[in-house]
Amino acid sequence: MSALTIGIIDYGVGNLASVHRCLELLGYRCRVSREPAILDHTDLFVLPGVGAFTAAMEALNSFNLVQYLQQQAHNGKPIVGICLGMQLLAEASNEFSYTTGLGLIPGKVSALAPERCHIGWNTIEVHHRDMLLKPSDGMSFYFNHSYVLEPPVEYQSALARLGAPFTVAVRHDNIVGLQFHPEKSQGEGQKLLRNVIEGLCCA
Amino acid sequence: MSLRGFAVLKKRLLGVVTVRNGWAVQSFGYRQYLPLGRPEVLVENLDRWGADEILLQCIDRSHHEAGPDLGLLERISRRGLATPLIYAGGVRNADDAISVIKLGADRVCVDALLHESPIRLQGLARKLGAQAIIASLPLSITGGGEIVWLDYRSGQQQVLTPEVVEFLDSSFASEVLVIDWVHEGRPVAFDSRLVARFPASSIPLIAFGGLSEASQLRQLLQEPRVSAVAVGNALNYREHNISKLKTALIEQPLRPHLIQCSR
Repeated sequence: MSALTIGIIDYGVGNLASVHRCLELLGYRCRVSREPAILDHTDLFVLPGVGAFTAAMEALNSFNLVQYLQQQAHNGKPIVGICLGMQLLAEASNEFSYTTGLGLIPGKVSALAPERCHIGWNTIEVHHRDMLLKPSDGMSFYFNHSYVLEPPVEYQSALARLGAPFTVAVRHDNIVGLQFHPEKSQGEGQKLLRNVIEGLCCA
Repeated sequence: MSLRGFAVLKKRLLGVVTVRNGWAVQSFGYRQYLPLGRPEVLVENLDRWGADEILLQCIDRSHHEAGPDLGLLERISRRGLATPLIYAGGVRNADDAISVIKLGADRVCVDALLHESPIRLQGLARKLGAQAIIASLPLSITGGGEIVWLDYRSGQQQVLTPEVVEFLDSSFASEVLVIDWVHEGRPVAFDSRLVARFPASSIPLIAFGGLSEASQLRQLLQEPRVSAVAVGNALNYREHNISKLKTALIEQPLRPHLIQCSR
């Protein structure tokens, strides 16, 4: 079987270099691009992201990527959103101002109250029904965020706790969102990312 | 105890690499330096040895108004770090910070910007999110017990004003890097009063400067306000020190030591 080709969505925001190196280390071919003609010839999209929701959606809009990503998702293209990339999958966010998202996962993004940030290594608890993430149940991953997507329960794949539990992974058919950074979570992160990519592409 | 019993946010052990004139150095109070070698090699070592986060501080960039060391970040990026990276040095505005993040850093430290323009820091937070911003404060304690803040460019020190404290509490940065610059580079010398007396009440603190031994780290990690401890020279010299420190601190809420085996 030939290596999968991953399309890393380059919308001018985010830590593309780390995601790119991690995927290459895992043996995948990568295309870092914002051009549909290039992204069309990939097996799966990774939507990375660091920063604020509004600025990221403005960037996606400015590169005419919103409709393209929505269309590809509806056509069954596997998409993995990482950190802010997961939040962009939501219907909308209240970060700084109300901004609509890609609308690929029901639910809205809101501040992680009462804690103002969730930074560092935390354990995830995986829902029993999610076989992609199940091998990572109880493992620690690196988080760096202050907003969180809370979808209806049927879309929740994993949670973490800061006192109260909150959602840190979501799934809707061919769409997966990871609030943590697998590419910066050392060996456990790499294992999880491989499981998710292989699981989505071979489903 | 099941794994679920550990389902809490861990405190972190940071490895620090200090860079001056493009070379990694062992620093002594930011006054004297010994060369250590190529910074990308030291960063890669900390990545392999299992640091929870790596702080790369390029200490002469703001002094020379040189901006961030993007070339160094590019070289580090090519090595494919699997550990979160904090970058400090020369970040002047949101564009600088975005360039740093694009090249593989997860968070940025700001120091000179805090002195110059808190307004620009707010702009930075709107672009990157507060979680990506750390306020770096070189501090010391006067004979009268007051905490004073050093502007390392001018050498001037000032008391932390209520305005600065209010700003730190106002959600534009996620953590404060409390640097004991006087004792930096000296073993077991961190002045824990800097943490105990730090005036801002709600922002988590990262302690750095003169930290090396497990007993000292344990004392700091037991402080509720301390989210992380940062160790420089002591980690860079000895390959198994991260493992040894984590083993010695096993009762603390740190992530257990894991050997990196993916490369």
